[in-house]
Amino acid sequence: MQNYKDLEKNIEKDFSSVSSLETLQEFRLSYLGKKGKISLLMKELSSLDADQRKENAEQLNILKGKILELIDTKDNELQELILNEKLETEKIDLTLNVESKQGTIHPITQVVDEVIEIFGDLDFFVAEGPEVETDYNNFTALNTSENHPARQMHDTFYVKTETDGMPNVLRTHTSPVQIRSMLEQQPPIRLIAPGKTFRCDNDQTHTPMFHQVEGLVIDEESNMSHLKGCLEIFLKSFFETSELKMRFRPSHFPFTEPSAEVDIAYTRKGNQLIIGDGKEWLEVLGCGMVHPNVLRNVDINPDQFQGYAFGMGIERLAMLKYGISDLRTFFDNDLRWNKHYGFQPLNTPSILRDLS
Amino acid sequence: MKFSFSWLKEHLDTQLNAIEISEKLTSIGLEVESFNDASLAFRDFIVAEVIEEKKHPNADKLKLCLVDTGKEKVDVVCGAPNVEKGMKVVYAPPGSIIPVNQMKLKVSKIRGVESQGMMCSEYELGISDEHDGIIRLDDSVKVGSSYAEISGMNDTFFEIGITPNRQDCLGVSGISRDLSASKSGNYLRKEFSKIDGSFDSPVDVKIEDQVMCPAFASRYIKNVKNCESPDWLKSKLKSIGLRPISALVDITNYVMYDQNRPLHVYDADKINKNIIVRSAKDKETLKALDEKEYALSKGMCVIADDMSPLGLGGIMGGESTGCSENTTNVLLESALFDPINTAKTGRKLSILSDARYRFERGIDPLSVIRGIDQASQLISEICGGEFSHTVVSGSIDDTKKSFEISVNKINKRLGLSIEKSEVIEILSSLGIECKEAGEKINCVIPTWRQDIDCEADISEEIIRIKGYDFIPQSNIRSSKKINESILNYRQKNLSKAKRYIASLGYNELVTYSFANSKDCNFFGNIDNLRIVNPISEDQDILRPSLIPNLLNAIKKNQSRDIENFEIFEAGSQYTSSTPGDQFNSVVGLKSGINKKKSWRHAEQQYDVYDIKNDIVNLIDYLIPNQKKITLDDESPEWMHPGRSASIILNKKIRLGYFGELHPRVIKSFKIKNKVNAFELLIDQMPESARKLNSKVDINLSEFQSVKRDFAFVVDQHIRALDLEESAKKVDKDLIRDVEIFDIFEDESLGPNKKSMAIKVTIQASDRTLKDNEIQDICSKIVKSIEKSTSGSVRS
Repeated sequence: MQNYKDLEKNIEKDFSSVSSLETLQEFRLSYLGKKGKISLLMKELSSLDADQRKENAEQLNILKGKILELIDTKDNELQELILNEKLETEKIDLTLNVESKQGTIHPITQVVDEVIEIFGDLDFFVAEGPEVETDYNNFTALNTSENHPARQMHDTFYVKTETDGMPNVLRTHTSPVQIRSMLEQQPPIRLIAPGKTFRCDNDQTHTPMFHQVEGLVIDEESNMSHLKGCLEIFLKSFFETSELKMRFRPSHFPFTEPSAEVDIAYTRKGNQLIIGDGKEWLEVLGCGMVHPNVLRNVDINPDQFQGYAFGMGIERLAMLKYGISDLRTFFDNDLRWNKHYGFQPLNTPSILRDLS
Repeated sequence: MKFSFSWLKEHLDTQLNAIEISEKLTSIGLEVESFNDASLAFRDFIVAEVIEEKKHPNADKLKLCLVDTGKEKVDVVCGAPNVEKGMKVVYAPPGSIIPVNQMKLKVSKIRGVESQGMMCSEYELGISDEHDGIIRLDDSVKVGSSYAEISGMNDTFFEIGITPNRQDCLGVSGISRDLSASKSGNYLRKEFSKIDGSFDSPVDVKIEDQVMCPAFASRYIKNVKNCESPDWLKSKLKSIGLRPISALVDITNYVMYDQNRPLHVYDADKINKNIIVRSAKDKETLKALDEKEYALSKGMCVIADDMSPLGLGGIMGGESTGCSENTTNVLLESALFDPINTAKTGRKLSILSDARYRFERGIDPLSVIRGIDQASQLISEICGGEFSHTVVSGSIDDTKKSFEISVNKINKRLGLSIEKSEVIEILSSLGIECKEAGEKINCVIPTWRQDIDCEADISEEIIRIKGYDFIPQSNIRSSKKINESILNYRQKNLSKAKRYIASLGYNELVTYSFANSKDCNFFGNIDNLRIVNPISEDQDILRPSLIPNLLNAIKKNQSRDIENFEIFEAGSQYTSSTPGDQFNSVVGLKSGINKKKSWRHAEQQYDVYDIKNDIVNLIDYLIPNQKKITLDDESPEWMHPGRSASIILNKKIRLGYFGELHPRVIKSFKIKNKVNAFELLIDQMPESARKLNSKVDINLSEFQSVKRDFAFVVDQHIRALDLEESAKKVDKDLIRDVEIFDIFEDESLGPNKKSMAIKVTIQASDRTLKDNEIQDICSKIVKSIEKSTSGSVRS
C-alpha cells in the first residue's frame, strides 16, 4: 500500500466532495473510467517486474474494491434521499372522496330470505300460488263459506274473471297456497309460502298490498306441541335471541281448530323495542291445528292425517326486527328510505354465518 | 265489545280483581284490547263548592274563587265563563293528573295570583269534547265526596275483541258465563219475573217464510210513557259508548248488550193493522232508522204491515214506526232470523248494525222469550203500560246438537294427555252435557254455543279453558327428510338475480301489484286486468308490467330532487286476471348521471350500453355455462325503436329486452332524463335436467401473442358485430379477440360514413407466429372486412 498512499488520500478527499448522483458519477469515472486514475495505473503495471506487479495489482484491486463499495453505499444513500424528496412531493389529500354506488335489497326481500333460511333448515320447502285466486281456494276450501262473518273482515278485492260462477279475488292471505299444495301432494307435507296478499284497506296501519308467509305441516302425528316447538325455533332464530318469552292465546280462524294467536314479550327502551323479555306483549302471528274440514276439502283423510298451519305478516316482522315505524313507507319508494333501510346485497341470510 | 267491571259483576260472583279478570279474559280467547281503570284516573277529583267568586285583579277574563273542598277552603283562579257562587264543581287539587293531557297539576301563580288546583271541564277529564265551561254538578251532591264515586266512574272498563265464532259472548251475561267456566267466579243467571198479559195483542204476526225467520215473539203494550231513561240506565249505556235516546230505545239496547238479545220496539199506532214477515219485493224501498233510503230486493227479509215494509228483519228498523217521545202504544219484537240471509242482506245493502252483527253470527233461540221478559220488566218499571199476552209466531227450535268425541284423539291433536275426568269437568263447566261411552264421550251442546260442531271444536274448548300454556313444546326436527330441495329452479334464479343486480348498484323497490290504467297504454290490452273495487282510481288494474310503477317511482323521487336512478324490481306482472296468468319479471332502470362531474373526471350519463352490460352479466351469472346469447332488433313498443334489442338465448328463447325507453313513454310520465331499462323474463330461463357445472376447455397458449390495429371507413349502418364476425372468421384458431376501440364520424370520410377501428389479438397455441404468417392474416382480415362491409381500410 506503500506505493498508493497519496492515491488513497486523494480518493478519500475526492469522495468527500461527492454530493449528488452526478458528482458520484464523476467520481466513479475519475478513478474507474477508461481514463480513470486506477484504470491508468492498472495499465502501467505491465511495465513492472512480476513481483512488483503482483503486489501493486493487489493493492490497486483493494483500492478499486473500496471505491466500488463507497460508490454503492453512496448511491443507495443518494437514491434514498431522492425518493424521500419525491415522496414528499407526492403527498395527496386523502380527505377527498370518490363516488361509489351501493345497491340495496328491500327489507321485504331480506326478511323473506331470513324466513326461508330458518324454515329451510327445518325441512320446509317454499311453495307458491297465484296472486289472483279463485273464491273457492281463498275462502270456501278454507272452511270459510260464502256468508261466514270472517269474510267481512277480509275486505276482498275482486277482478272481472270468474271461476265456477264466482268472481275471482286477489288473495287476501297466503292460505290458499295450503289448498293448492295439498291438492298436488299427499302428506307428509312441510311447506312455507311467502308472498303478496291484498286487502281493500288503506290507512295508517294498512296498505292494500302486503306480504305474508304461510306455514303448513301435515303428517300423521304433528300436534299443537309441535306447532309450539316449531314457532319457538322460528321466533328465536328470527329475532336472534336465545331468550324469548312467547304466549299462545286462543283465537279463531275458520281453517284451524284450535286456533291461536302468538304474542312475544318485549321491553321498550326509548324508541327501541327489545324483543324477548318484558311485561308487554306484541302479537306476531296466527296459527292453529288445520281444521278437519279443510283436509276433507282436499281429499286428505282427517282420521289419518293432522297437522298445523301458521301465518304471519312479513312487514310486521321487518318492522319489529329492524325498527321501521311506518308500514306505508315500505311501498312509498322514496329512494332515501330504500337506501337507509335497505340491505347490502351480499348480506344473504345464512344459518351458518349470521341471519342478518 | 265494551263493558264495565261493575256490569260484569252483576252476572259474575268473583273474588278476582279487574287485572286478574283481564288476564283471564285474554287467556280464554276473549282478547282484552283495552283496559281502563277509571277509578285510578279519577282518584284525586273531589266534589267542591264555589263559596266566593270575584274578579281577578289583573285579568278581565279570569275569576278568583274561594272553593270549599270539604277539608279546607282554597283560592282557585278560573277562566270558565259559567263559574258562579254556590256552584258544585269537580275540583282537582295540586298533585292530581289531568286525564286529557296527563299533566300533573302544580300550585302556580296565574297573573300574579296563586291558584290552588283547578275546577274541571268534561274535556279536561277526558269525558267529552265539552270545554266551554266547567262541570256543574247536581246541587244534591255532598261537598268532599269522591267524583269517581258520584259519577259512576269508579269502575274499570274493558274492551274485548270477539272472534266471529264466539257469538255467545256478544253480551255481558255470556262473557260472565265463559269466565265462570275458567274458574273465575260463579255465573249468576238473571231470572226475570214474567209480567202477565191482560189482553190479546191486536197486531197479528204472520211469518211467510220460516227459513228467513223461524220465530217472531211479540207483545203489545198500551199507554207507555217513552220518557228519558233513569240515571243508572243512561250511565250504563254511556259507559260502553252508546248515546241514550229514550227509555224504550235504551231498554232494547241495554238488553242487547246485557243478554245478547236484539229486540225491536215499533210505534204500534203507525203499524197498518198486521205484521207480515216476508221476502221483500223487487223495487220496494225502506227508509231505515239511520235515515237512509234502501232499495230492497227479493230474498231480503222484511217485517211489513199490510201496506209496506217497516223494517229489515234482524238488521234495522224503519223510520216510519220508530218510537218518539209521543209514542204511547208499542209492539215489542223478539225474533230469530236466519244468519246467512241476514249476512247476505246486510252485505248487499252495506248496513252494519249491532243487530246484524249478532244475527249473522247466530243467536241463542232460548233468548227469544227471556229477552221479551227482561224488556217487559224494564218497560213496566220505567215506562209503565199495560201488557198483552206474549205471542210466538213460528216456532223456536231449541234442539241441542250432540256428537261423540274421543279423548284419545283430542289428546293426539293437542299433544297432551288429559284424563277423561278432566275433559268432562271442563266441558260440563261450559254447559256441555257429557255422557261417557267407553273411551268416548257423548257431548250435548248448549243452544248458546252455535259454533261448536265437531271434535276439533271440543279440543279447542278444552285447551282454551285449561290454558294454552299447558301445551308443551316438542321438537320438530326429524331424521327423515321430507323435501328434496327448499327452493325450485325459478325461485333460486329470482333470489340470485335480486342480489346480483343489487350488487351492480341498483336499489330494490317493491311497488304495488296495481297500476293506473291510464299509465298503461303502452303495455298492451289492459281490459282484462281491471279490478272491480279498486282502492283508488290510480290503482285500477293489475300491473301488466313493472315499468309503469317504476317510472312513477322515478317521477315521485324527482319531485324530492333525486335525479339519478339505479332501481330495480323483481316481481309478478299479469297477462289477465285469471288465476295463474302472471309471470315473474326483473326490471332494472338506470337514468341520469352515472358518474358525477368531479375533481377526478368529467360527467358521464347512463346510456344503453350500461344497461346492456348489466343484463348480459346477469344472464351470465344465472346460467354461466354452455349458452349462446344473441341480439334481435325486435323489442317492445315502449322502447326506443333504434336503441333497443331483445336478448335471445340459444337462438330460441327470448329472455328479455334492454334499451332506452321510448321518448313518448318518458314524456307521458313527465320524467326529465332518458331512462335506460332492461327486462329479464326470468321465468323463461330454461332448466336443464342436470345442472351444467363443467366449463368449456380453456386453451392457455404459452406462445407470444400479437396485437394489430386496423381502421375502416364504412357505411353508417355497419355494426360492430359485422366487423367482429368478419375478422374472426378469417381464422377461428389464431384470432383470439377482436375489439372495437374507436369510432368516429367526420365530413372528410364522406356522406353517411364512419370510421371504425379494431384491435385484433392473434396467437397460436403451438408456436410463435412468424412475420409472414402475421402479415398474411392481417391482409386476410382487411380483405374480409372490406368485402363484407363494402368499406375500405384506412392507411
